[in-house]
Amino acid sequence: MRAEWRQWVLLPVAAVIVGLVAGAILILISGDNPLTAYGGMAEGAFGSSDAMSRTLEKATPLILGGLAVAFAFKAGLFNIGGQGQLLLGAAFAAWIGFDLNLPMVVHLPLALVIGGLAGAALGAVAGLLKATRGTHEVISTIMLNFVAANLTDWLVSRDGPWKDPESGAVARSPQVLDSAALPRLGFLPVGFLVAVAVAAAVWWIVNRSVLGFEISTVGHNAKAATYAGISVVRITVVAMLISAFLAGLGGAIQTQGVNGRFEPGFNSGLGFDGITIALLARTNALAVVPAALLIGAMDAGSTLMQSRTDVPPEIISVIQGFILFLVAAPSVVRWLLRLREDIGGTKIDLASGWGAS
Amino acid sequence: MRKRLMMLFGLLAVFSLMAAACGSSTDEGTDTTGDSSATTEGGASSATTEGTGTSEAGGATDADCAAEETICIGLVTDVGKVDDKSFNQSAWEGVQEVGETLDATVDFVETTDSTDYATNISSFTDQGYDVIVTVGFALGEATTAAAAANPETYFIGVDQFQAETAPNVAGLIFPEDKAGFLAGALAGLLTKSNTVAQVLGTDLVPPVVAFKEGFDGGVAYTNPDAQVIATYHPGGLDVAFADPDWGATTARQAIDNGADVVFGAGGKTGNGALGEVAKDGGDALCIGVDSDQWETVPEAHPCLVTSAMKLITPGIVDLVTAWNDAKPTSGNFVGEVGLADYHDLASKVPAEVQTEIKELTPKVISGEVPTGYTPS
Amino acid sequence: MTTTSTSVETGAETTARRRQALVRNRNGIVLGVMVVVLSVVAYQWDGVQTTAVTARTVREASPLILAALCGLIGERSGVVNIGIEGQMLLGAYSGFMAASYSGSLLVGVVAAVAASALAGLFLGWAAVALRMDQIIAGTVINIVGAGVTSFFYVAGRTMPRFPQWSVPGLSDLPLVGRTLFAHGPLTYVAALMVLVVHIALFHTRWGLRTRAVGEHPGAADTVGVRIERLRYVNLTLAGSLAGMAGLALIQSAGAFDRGMTAGRGFIALAVMIFGRWRPTGVLGAALLFGLFNAVQAQLQFKQALDIPPQFFGMIPFLLTIAVLAVAGVKARPPAAAGRPYDPE
Repeated sequence: MRAEWRQWVLLPVAAVIVGLVAGAILILISGDNPLTAYGGMAEGAFGSSDAMSRTLEKATPLILGGLAVAFAFKAGLFNIGGQGQLLLGAAFAAWIGFDLNLPMVVHLPLALVIGGLAGAALGAVAGLLKATRGTHEVISTIMLNFVAANLTDWLVSRDGPWKDPESGAVARSPQVLDSAALPRLGFLPVGFLVAVAVAAAVWWIVNRSVLGFEISTVGHNAKAATYAGISVVRITVVAMLISAFLAGLGGAIQTQGVNGRFEPGFNSGLGFDGITIALLARTNALAVVPAALLIGAMDAGSTLMQSRTDVPPEIISVIQGFILFLVAAPSVVRWLLRLREDIGGTKIDLASGWGAS
Repeated sequence: MRKRLMMLFGLLAVFSLMAAACGSSTDEGTDTTGDSSATTEGGASSATTEGTGTSEAGGATDADCAAEETICIGLVTDVGKVDDKSFNQSAWEGVQEVGETLDATVDFVETTDSTDYATNISSFTDQGYDVIVTVGFALGEATTAAAAANPETYFIGVDQFQAETAPNVAGLIFPEDKAGFLAGALAGLLTKSNTVAQVLGTDLVPPVVAFKEGFDGGVAYTNPDAQVIATYHPGGLDVAFADPDWGATTARQAIDNGADVVFGAGGKTGNGALGEVAKDGGDALCIGVDSDQWETVPEAHPCLVTSAMKLITPGIVDLVTAWNDAKPTSGNFVGEVGLADYHDLASKVPAEVQTEIKELTPKVISGEVPTGYTPS
Repeated sequence: MTTTSTSVETGAETTARRRQALVRNRNGIVLGVMVVVLSVVAYQWDGVQTTAVTARTVREASPLILAALCGLIGERSGVVNIGIEGQMLLGAYSGFMAASYSGSLLVGVVAAVAASALAGLFLGWAAVALRMDQIIAGTVINIVGAGVTSFFYVAGRTMPRFPQWSVPGLSDLPLVGRTLFAHGPLTYVAALMVLVVHIALFHTRWGLRTRAVGEHPGAADTVGVRIERLRYVNLTLAGSLAGMAGLALIQSAGAFDRGMTAGRGFIALAVMIFGRWRPTGVLGAALLFGLFNAVQAQLQFKQALDIPPQFFGMIPFLLTIAVLAVAGVKARPPAAAGRPYDPE
C-alpha cells in the first residue's frame, strides 16, 4: 500500500521540483532571484483568500481540460483540441446566458449543458473521422482548434450575430444574465465545486460503469475489444464526445463563473495544459484535481511574481513545459535523482495510432 | 531519494543567494525610484528592485506604497508585452516619464490571458498603489470594477470610453479616426499611382477600425480619384497583431497592385508591412501607427514618411500630473492625435503638401472637417 | 493491415503503390496544368492583379514548404513531429539574434539551422531513446520553444537584410518573372529542397531505408537497417529544414518577433497531409494554401466579395478536414509513424 502511494506521488513531485529548478536557472540567467520569484508566486497563489479564489478559478477550466485529455487517454485517444472545444463551449454558454430569460434552476444548468454540448459537437467530428475514416484525432482536433477560434471570433465580431449591441465597436457578447451566472460562496467559486463533482463523476464512469469498462478495453486492445463484441466505432465516438463535452463545459463554467460574457482570445493553451495535468495525475480523474490546482496556482501566482521581480510571465509556461517533459519521461527523472526504484509513470503510447493500424 | 530532493532545494537556495549577491552589487540594495528611467528599452524594468536575498524582500515595497508620502504608479498591459512597439509600450513610457518627474515608484504587470485583468489590477491595489494605468479597451470593465472597490486609488484607462463618470477614473481616449484621416489625406496627396493601401490588424479591435475608416475618409477628401485597397488579417485575435510575415507579404501584394503609399496599422503585423515597403528604398512610402514609429521600427526608415499617432505617452503624463496637483480628471479625457514628424523623408513631401496638411490638421482635430467614421 | 505482410506481399504492394503513385502524379499534373492555364487566362484579363496574387502565393508558400518537409521526413522515418511550430520559432529566434549580434547573415543562417536541428535531435532522443510518446515530445518542443524565445527576446534589435535574388533576364518576364524569379534566397532553397527531398526519398538508398523504417521497421531491421540511428539522423536533418522555415519567415518579415510563426507549424502539418506525405504534393499543397491567403487579401483589396475575414481564415483548415474525410484511408501516414520501434 505504502509502496503504491509512493508511486503515485514520487514522479509528479520530482518532476515539479526539477521543473522549478530548471526555471530557477533561467530566472538566474535573466538576472533575478528565483526565491523571490517563487515566493511571490506562492504568495500570489495562496497568500490570501482572494489569492485562493483566483487559484481555484484558474484551476477550474484546467480540471476540465485535464479530465478531457485523461478521459480520452482511457480510450486510447489523444484529444489535443481542448482549446477549440472550450472556446465553442464558452461562446454557446454565453449565448444561452444572455439570450434566454429563464429561472435560475433551469437557466444555469441549461447554459452549462449547451456549452458542453457545443464542445462535444466539435469532438464528435474528430471522433467520427477517427472511427470511420481512420484520421488521427490529433490532426483533426488541431485543425478544428483553428476553425473554432475563427468561428467564435466571428460570432461576436461586427458582422456576427452575438455581438453586444451596446459595446460600440468592441467585439464581445452581451453580459450573461444573473440567472445564468455561477455565484461564489465566500472565497469558493461554485464553478470549482462543479468541476470537482464532474471529476468524481468521470472517475465513476471510468472505474465503475460498463461504459468505462468498454472504453478501457478498447483503449488497451481494440482487437480484443472487437472479439468481446464491443463496437470500437461506437466507443471511439462516445469517448471523444464525452472528452470534448468536458472541455466545452470548462469553457461554459469560465463564462458563467468568471468572465460573465464571451470575449475572443482567452485561455489559449488550455489543450496543452490539459496534457500536462492528465499526465501529472497519471490519467486518474480524481488526481486531476490536485494536478490542476498546482498548474492553476502557478498561473495565478504569476501576477505577484511579476510585480515582485522583473521575471517575465513566460517563465511559467516554460516551467510547465519542463514538467510535461519530465512526467512523460520517468527515466530522465530517475537518472537525475539517481533513483533505483521504479517510480511509476503512465505509459502513454498514443502516437502509435498515427500510422496505419 | 529524500536526500536528492533536499539537494535540489539546497541548489535553489544557493542560486538565490548568488542572485542576491549580484543584485546588491549593482543597485546598492535600495528601493530607489529614479532608476526606472535608466532601464527604458527592453521592458524588463521595474523600479522596485529587491536588494536582499530573502523571499519576503518585496514586502518592503508594499509598505512603501501604502505610505502617504510615497507615490506608486502601476501599469497593467493588455494581453501583450511592455516592449510591443505599440500602445502598451507608449503607455509604459508615459508612466516611466511621469514617474521620474514625481520621484515615484513605477512597476508593470504583463497580462498573458484576458481572464487575468482583474487579478493583475488587484496586484497593485493590494500593495496600495496610488495610480493604476490599464491599457486597452478590453480592460474597461475590470478597471471600472476595481475603481469602485478602491475609491482611494486613481485609475487611468487607456482606450476606455467612460459611459458613466466615476470620480477616480479617467478614460484616456483618442479620436483615432482623425489621425487616420490626416494620414489618409497625406497619402492621397502623395500617391502618384492613385492607389494607396492599408494593411490592418483585426476588425475585432475598435481602434483599428477607427484608423482604417478615418484613413479612407482622408484619402477621399484630398484625392477622390485615388483607390484605397485595404485588408484585415484573417486570423484570430491571438495572431492578428503578431504576424509580421503576413503583414509583409500583404504589403508586397499591395505594391504589386500598384499602391505607392502603404499604411500599416496592426502591431507587429503592421510593422512587418512597414519593413517590406522599406525594401524598395523609398520608391513606395509607408505610414506607421500609434506612436512615432521612426523611433520603434528603425528598419522602416527608408519609407516611413510619418505615423498616425495617438499620443498616449503625454496623455498619461498629463493625467498623472493633474492628479498629483490634486486636480484629477474624471470621465473621459480626449488625448491628442496627429501626424508624426516627417523626419528624413521631409524631402519626399512637397512644400505645398506640407502646407496643406498643416492647414488641414486643426480643422480635422476640431471636427470642422468630418472624418466620415461613426462608431457602430 | 497486419504486420504479417513481409517479403511476398511487399512486392505486390510495391506494384500497387507504383500504380497509385502514377494516379496521384497524374492528378498532380492535371491540377498543375489547370493552374497554369487559369493563371494565364487571369493574366490576360488582369495582369497586375494576377501577378500580385501569384507572386505572393510563391512567397507565402516557401516557409510552409520547408516546415512541411520537416514533418514529412520525420513521419517517413516513423516519427510524428507536431513540434514544428516550436522548432521554427527556435530557428527564427536564433537566426535573428545571431545575425543581429554578429552583423553577418551567414552566422544567422548557421545558428538557425543548428538550433532547429538540435530541437530535432531532442525529438529523436525523446522518441528513440526515451520512448516518450511522440506527440507529447512535440508538444514539449512547442511550449518550451515559444516560452524560451519570448523569455529571452530583446526588443529594438535589427539584423542585416536578406538579399533579393532576381534572376537576370528571367525576372523581367511577364507573370512568370515576378512570380518565380524575384525572391529572397530562402524561397529558392524551398524549391530546391522539394527536389532534393524527392530524389533522396525515392531514388537513393537512404530514401529506401527511410521509407522502409517508416512503413515496415520490422522488415527493415531484418535486412540490417539501423533503425534508431537512422531516426536520429533523419530527425536532425528534418530539424534543420524547420530552421530554414524559420529563416524564410524572418527573410520575409525582416525581423524576429514573439510568436511570429502564428500557427504556421500547424498549418505545415496540414500541408504535409494535403500533400499526402510526398515532397511534390507538399509543394502543391503549400502553393494552394499560399493562394488562399493571396486571394483573400486580393478580394478584400478590391472589395469584391464581402466575406468576414474570419471565414477566410478558416478555409485551409476546413479544407484539410474535408480532404481527410473524403480521402479517408487513402490519406494515410506511413504505417509505423508514431510508434517507437520494438524489436520483439
